[in-house]
This record gives sequence, C-alpha cells and structure tokens, in this order.
Amino acid sequence: MSLFPTHLLLLPLIIPLTGAAIALLLRKVRPVQEYWTLGTMVTSLLASLWLLFTVQGQGEPLAFQLGGWNAPFGISLVADLLAALFVVMVQLVMVLGLVYALGSRDKVVQYPFFYPLFLTLAVGLTGTMLTGDLFNLFVFAELLVISGTVLTAMADDRFGVEAAFKYFYMSLLASFFLLLSVGSMYVSYGTLNMADLARQITAADSPGLLLWPGIVFLLATFMVKSAVFPFHFWQPDFHTAAPTAVSAMLSSVVVKLGVYGFIRMTTLLFVAQAPIFRPVLIVLGIAGIIYGGLAALGTHNVKRMLAYSTLAQVGFILVGIGWGSTLAIAAALVFAFNHSLIKAAMLMLAGYVASRAAIKSAAFQVVTGMGKALPAAGILFFLGGLALSGIPPTSGFVSKALLFNSGIVGEEFMVLLVIGLASILTLLYVMRAFQRIWWLAPQEGAKAKPAGDRLLAPLILIALVVVLGIWAAPLVDVAQEAAQWLAQPDIYIQAVFPGG
Amino acid sequence: MDLIYALAVGALFAIGIFQVLRRSAIRSVIGFVLLANAVNLFLLSVGAYDGLQAAYTTSEQIRADALPQALILTAIVISMGGTAFTLALLNIIAARYRTADLDEMEGLKH
Repeated sequence: MSLFPTHLLLLPLIIPLTGAAIALLLRKVRPVQEYWTLGTMVTSLLASLWLLFTVQGQGEPLAFQLGGWNAPFGISLVADLLAALFVVMVQLVMVLGLVYALGSRDKVVQYPFFYPLFLTLAVGLTGTMLTGDLFNLFVFAELLVISGTVLTAMADDRFGVEAAFKYFYMSLLASFFLLLSVGSMYVSYGTLNMADLARQITAADSPGLLLWPGIVFLLATFMVKSAVFPFHFWQPDFHTAAPTAVSAMLSSVVVKLGVYGFIRMTTLLFVAQAPIFRPVLIVLGIAGIIYGGLAALGTHNVKRMLAYSTLAQVGFILVGIGWGSTLAIAAALVFAFNHSLIKAAMLMLAGYVASRAAIKSAAFQVVTGMGKALPAAGILFFLGGLALSGIPPTSGFVSKALLFNSGIVGEEFMVLLVIGLASILTLLYVMRAFQRIWWLAPQEGAKAKPAGDRLLAPLILIALVVVLGIWAAPLVDVAQEAAQWLAQPDIYIQAVFPGG
Repeated sequence: MDLIYALAVGALFAIGIFQVLRRSAIRSVIGFVLLANAVNLFLLSVGAYDGLQAAYTTSEQIRADALPQALILTAIVISMGGTAFTLALLNIIAARYRTADLDEMEGLKH
C-alpha cells in the first residue's frame, strides 16, 4: 500500500482544524475570515468526497494509525463506506450552512468566534465518525458539544443561553455515561479500540463482567446525543433558540451522531448482543415517530415544529437500524443522508421567513400570511415539505420507499402499519405550516421586510433533494454497498489489523 | 482496596445524582462536579488493581496501568472546562431571573 491513500483519511479532520486555528487569527478582518472559512470547508468537502471515492474504489476500508502506533495500542482512524458516506453528508451540509451564515443578517455571525466555532463543530462531527477508538469518540463528541453550545449561547434569541444551558447539562451527563461505558469495556476486555473490542467480544466464551452495563451506558449516551424519544426534552428548545445557520446543522447532521453510533453498535461492536437490544430501538423509534408527529402538529412556531419533526424522522431511521437486515440498514443510511439535506433546507427556509418578519421570530402568530411577498421561498418550502413527508419526485420518497420495502421483505407488517399511519402526520404538520405562511391573509400591520437572509443555501439543498429524488441510483448504490460491508464486521476488523 | 474504591464511587455517584436533581441550580452544578469525580474514580479503579507502583518505573514489581490515568487526565480537563462554562452560563441566567431556582427560570416555557 502506498504512503498516500492512508494519509488521505486525515484530510477531512486536519483541514477544518487548521482552518479554525487560522480563522481565529483572522478575527480582526471579518471579510477575510468569512471567505477563509468557506474555502476551508469547501476544500474539506472535496477531501471527504475524494475519501469516499477512494474507499469505494479500492473496495476495502482505509485505516490510519495515528503516530505510527499500531492498533490496539495507538488510536486508529478508520473510514469504511459508512463512515466515509456520513463524513460527506456532514461536510456537505456544513458547507451549505456556512453559505447560509455568510448571507445571514443575524448579529451572531458578526462575532469573531462564530466561524472558528463552526469549523470546530465540523471537526468534532467528522472525528466521531472517523475514529476507531471509543475514548477518542468521547473527545470528539465533547468538541462537538462545546462548539454547538457556544454557538447557541450567543444566539440572537434571548433564550439562547437557557437552551444552551439545558443542552450542555444533558450532554455532559451523557458524556459521563460514555466514560462509564469506556471504563466498563476496558475492565472487561482491556482494550478501547473498536475493532479489537469487536474481535474480543466475539471470541470470548462468556460475556465480560461489565459488558451489559457498558452496552446500556453507550445506548443511553447515543440516545441523548440524537434526541431519541424519552431523552429528547432538551432538543426542541435547543434547536429553536439556536441561530438559523446553526440550528440547521444541529437538527440535521448533529443528531446523526447517535444514528451512526447505533449502527456501529449493532453491526460492529456488539453483533452477538444486538438481537437483544434491537427491539428497544424499534420501540423507541416508533414512540418517537408518533410523539414527534403529534407534538409537531401542536406547536406554534415553525422552527419548533421542525425540531419535533427531527424527533419523528430519527425514529424512522431507528426502526430501520432495529430491523437490522442489510436492506433495512441500507434504507436507514439513505434515510439519514436525505433527512440531513431536507431538514437543513427546511430550517433555513423557516429562518429565512423569520428574517423577513417584522419581529425576528418563526412563531406562527408573527409569520402568518407573510408568504405573499416570498413566492420563491414558498416553492422551496413546498418541495421540502413533500420531501419530508415522502412524496415523489423528491428524495424523501426514495428513503421512505426503501425503508418500507425492507419492512415488507422482513415481514414486519404491524410495525409498517403503525409507522405508515404515523407518517401521515408529517404531511399534516408540514402542510399546516405551509398554509399558515403562504395561504392565509396577512395580519394587520404584518409586512415583510424588504430584505432578509440570502436564499442561496436552501435553494441548493432543495435542488439536491429533487435531483436525489429523480436520480437516486448513486446514493442508493453506495448505501447498499456500505450495508453489505456492515453485514461482515470482519471487513472492518481486517482493515485495522491487517494480517490478523 | 477494591471495596474502598467501590464504596467511594458508589457514594459519590449517589450524592452526585441526588444533587443534580435538586431545584437549586448551584447545588446541581456541585452535584455535577461530584459525578465527574465519581466517573474519574471509576476509571481509575478500572486499571489500578494491579499495582501501587507508578506506571513508568524500572521497578520489577507489578506496575499500575497507564492508560486509565491518561484517560482520567483528559476527562478531568474536559470536565473542568465544562464546569467553568456551565457556571458562566448559569451566571448570565441567574442575573436575568435574579434567582438560582430552576423552577422559576421559565423563559423557555412559551
């Protein structure tokens, strides 16, 4: 193997990390800082696309041992197709988030630390997905949490600080659970390398002393991170109060950290134990779909509605992971990818409407009837709504079709019936919001401001959503290949320990 | 030794959880610090069974495992930063509501 390709793995991490440090130095010259950040993020996206094509092209995961310390002693970074695909998803959405931030009229984007923090958010998220070490996952997750919290705490919304406090509190507690899990795994198997752990858990005759507590702590951690139903209560506040460019990231890609964690747990770390906790994922997923749908239907704020909708959509992904067949995992991957694009676009549109409102707010009583002046945003919101509820010609249809197909193949008809009915709720709440904003007559004195945020980022996202709905083959192929790799944990283990 | 560790971790955990659930925000941050220490002690106990010798000595006796110590060092730094940041946020919130009672901070219930 040549020197070059394994080092390629570092690029999506190193580029934004260095970029963040340099952006800090550039804080006095804001225009330079803005375009430096955008350039960094675009370069990083190109690097991660290159990574995806390299991994797919060579047909086996890339692994890189940091500092030349071989696994299991050093920290390894591993990019299999799942990690590479998720990294591309994260960086694509983050680039468009930056594009939105550049055109945003929020005061928050003028803080000198906004752009560096945005980049460290990207580093944290990319790092959690590329790392092959459980403790390293904790470090990157902390970086992600702290960046996200600070970005929310300085939001224009006056409740930003409280929402940030609530989130930070929860996620620090979740981090303690992650550390407890790290400790439990270490005392049971003497290693924290994920590939080594997987190998040893499979090889052990009897389960380690603290294996089950470790699994439960890890499940709890990821549930808090991705706001699965009973652990969700911080999420709507946090996603509503965050600045638009940030909440579009939080509600789309940041919640995918938990999704990624569940996939790794069921397909790599705890393959033998997975049948026992998979039903938990299905049940909580269904509960989330129903609760999230109903709660979204009852909200008075577009951003809050979309935050609850994330709860429901993550529920669909969890059901796919819970079914666990290769088809269902592939469907969950496609669903996760598409949901990131759709939800980011929808939140940006909600933020755009709010930026044109008389008082800057996405509450229905403020934005009702605003739409008359914003026809372009109306078309995009409508398309995004179709995608969210899974109606062609959008990518939302592809993801729902794949998920339901995998359910039919797996003969899970009861679950299918429930989630099929519950997904009607999506159509209801999205169209309710559309009707309130674009159909109802404007209120007395409610006039749209002449200028607001730039509409470029949601436009690109919705265009991607429609393109991925009509020409879905590339994404679906990659997801299916990734799911086939996941079905054989040995592929991942072999990459980290070449030659056993 | 194991018993002392187990009792200490258990006690810190119990007190920490109890304090975290209190209404007073300041008490709950204190609970949070206790929890952090409970977790760190747990991590230490994970690797410390084998030796009372330092990790990197030339001694022939069984040496302590260095990895949990490195983990704890990282975890201490992170939880220190986390606690400081929590207190800073709390400072702003408490100044707004003129109270540290979590039940009276109801700005988000709208």
